[in-house]
Amino acid sequence: MAENELIKEIEKAKEKYSQYIHEEEEKENFIKLMEKFVKDLKRHEKIMLRSDKRQKKEYDELQKRLEEVEKLQKAQKKLIDSFIKIIAEAIDTKSSYTGKHCERVPEIAIELAKAASQSEKFEFEIKNEQQETEISIAAWLHDCGKIVTPEYVVDKAVKLETIYNRIHEIRTRFEVINRDLIIEALKRKMNGEDEKKVDEWLKKEQKQLQDDFDFIAKLNVGSESIEESTLERLQNIANREWLRYFDDTKGLSKGEIERIPEEDFNQKLPVREKLISDKQRHKIKRPAEEIEEYKKYGFKVEIPENLYNYGEVYNLSIKKGTLTKEEFFKIQEHAMMTIKMLEQLPFPDYLKNVPIYAGAHHEKLNGKGYPRKLTEKDLPIPARIMAIADIFEALTASDRPYKHPKKLSEAIDILADMVKKGELDKDLFLLFLTSGIYLEYAKKYLKPEQIDDVDVNAYVDYFTKGNKTN
Amino acid sequence: MENLYIPATKYTPEISLNAEKGIIEIRGKSYPENTFDFYEPVLKWIEEYFNCCAKDNTVVNFEIIYFNSSSSKVLFDLFDILQEAKEKNNITINWIYDEENESAEEAGEDFKEDFPELNINLIKKSEEE
Repeated sequence: MAENELIKEIEKAKEKYSQYIHEEEEKENFIKLMEKFVKDLKRHEKIMLRSDKRQKKEYDELQKRLEEVEKLQKAQKKLIDSFIKIIAEAIDTKSSYTGKHCERVPEIAIELAKAASQSEKFEFEIKNEQQETEISIAAWLHDCGKIVTPEYVVDKAVKLETIYNRIHEIRTRFEVINRDLIIEALKRKMNGEDEKKVDEWLKKEQKQLQDDFDFIAKLNVGSESIEESTLERLQNIANREWLRYFDDTKGLSKGEIERIPEEDFNQKLPVREKLISDKQRHKIKRPAEEIEEYKKYGFKVEIPENLYNYGEVYNLSIKKGTLTKEEFFKIQEHAMMTIKMLEQLPFPDYLKNVPIYAGAHHEKLNGKGYPRKLTEKDLPIPARIMAIADIFEALTASDRPYKHPKKLSEAIDILADMVKKGELDKDLFLLFLTSGIYLEYAKKYLKPEQIDDVDVNAYVDYFTKGNKTN
Repeated sequence: MENLYIPATKYTPEISLNAEKGIIEIRGKSYPENTFDFYEPVLKWIEEYFNCCAKDNTVVNFEIIYFNSSSSKVLFDLFDILQEAKEKNNITINWIYDEENESAEEAGEDFKEDFPELNINLIKKSEEE
C-alpha cells in the first residue's frame, strides 16, 4: 500500500477508534501513538525521496566522471603512442643508413608474436590487446638508446672512417710537394746545374710552401673574416699540382663509391691532382621529397640544393665561422624538426600550444627569424620567452667546444642589440633584467670570472626614455 | 560519564563524544552495513548525556561527506533528540561541508528546514583549509 494511503487509513483509524477510549490519558496516548506513526511514515517518505534524488545525482556524476576518465585514458594512450613514434622516427631520421629500421621492426615483431601466440609450440599467448600493445611499444623503442649514439659511429662504413679534420690530409700533400721539390733539386744537381743556385731555389720554394701551408692552416680555423684577396690566394695555392700514383677509388664505402663519377674509375696512373680541390664526390644530393615535405609544413627557409658539400676549397672559402650553407641549414633544421615532431603529437587541449612555444624560439619579432618567418602578431609571449632564454644560455654557456663563453655584460649587451634590431621582445628583455632573473641564473651557472656588472638602469633608461646606454 | 570514541572505517564515520567538553562530533562517510546497530550506542550515549550530564554549552559538529538513506533516518532521530534536549540545554549545531560537496550542502539545507528551532549553522569549508 502506498504510504500516503496508509497515512489516510491511520488518520481515519485515529478518529474512529479514539472515541471508543473513554479514559482521557489512554486516549491521549493512543492519539499520540497514531500521530507518531504518521510522522514517521511521512519522514520515511521524505528520506526515500531525498535519498533517491541524491542517488540519481551521484550516479549521474559518477557516469560523467567515468566518461571523463575514459576520454582521458584514450587521449593519454594516443599521446603516449605518438611520443613513442616520434622518438623512433627521430632515431631513424638521425642516421640515413638505418633508414626506417625503428618503424619496420615493430611490424615484424608484432606479426611474429601473433604467430607464436597461435602456435602450440610455444608457451606463449597474447591474451589481450594490452599485451599486444606492450610488445608493440617495446618494438618501437628497442633502439631508443641510439638517440645518444654518435652518428659517425652508427654510420661508420669503413675502418678508417671517423670525424676527421682534413687539414692532416692536406698537410700530407704539402709534405709530398716538399719532397718533390727536394727530388727535383737533386735531379737538377745530377744534371750538372749549379749547386748553389739550385739550393737557393729550393730554399725559396720550401719557404713559400711553408708560408702557403701556414696560410691554409690558419684559414681552416675560421676565426678571421675573409676578403677577396684571401680567396685569390687560396685559389692560387689550391691550383698547385702534384702527382697521385695510387688509385683513389679503392677502400671506399658503398656511399662514397656511389658519389664518384664514372670517368674517375680506372684512371691511368699517375694522375695530376690539384693540391686542394672541389670534386663531384664531395657533393651529397638532397632527396627531392625532403624539399616538398618542408614546404608542406610552411617553412620559409631557403633550402640548399645539396645536403652536404665537402669540397675542400668550398669549405676553406667559408666567409664567416666554420659552417657551409648546407651545414648551417642542418643546424637550423633542428627548429623544423622540433615543429615536425611536436605537431605530430595529439596534445590535449591544455597542451595544444606546445609546438608553437617550442618551435618558434628562432623566430624574430621583425620576421627575420626561421623557420616560418613569423612576425610579432604570430609570436605568443611564451615563444618570445623561449627565444631570450635560448640565446642567453647559448651565449653564456662555458661547456661548448666551439666557442668561448661570454661575460655576463657582453651577453646582455648582445641581447640588447637584438632588441634594438627588433628581433627580441623589449619588455621581456627589460623584465629579464629588472626581475634579477639574469643574475640569479648567472650566480648559479656561470663561472665567477664571467660575472661582471650589468648596468640594468642604463638599459631601462635607454629602452623606456630613449636615452643612450654607455 | 565516559567519553565515547569510535575511529573511522571505510564505511563508517569517526565519532567522538566528549562529555567533559560537551562536544559531539560525527565526521566522515556513513554507509554501514547495519546502520541501526552501528548508531545504537551513539544515540544511547547522547540521550544519556542530555539526561544526566550535559554541560552548559554543548557543541554538535556534523561533517558528513556521504551517507546512505538509513544513516539519514538515524540523523533525523538524532535531530529529534537534540530538538527535545534544546528546551533545557544550550546547544550549538554545526553542519560542516566541503565547498565542492553539493550533496552534503543540500542535505544540511534540508535538515535546517526540517528542524527550524535547532538553528543549524551551515559552515562551508574551502579546499585550502
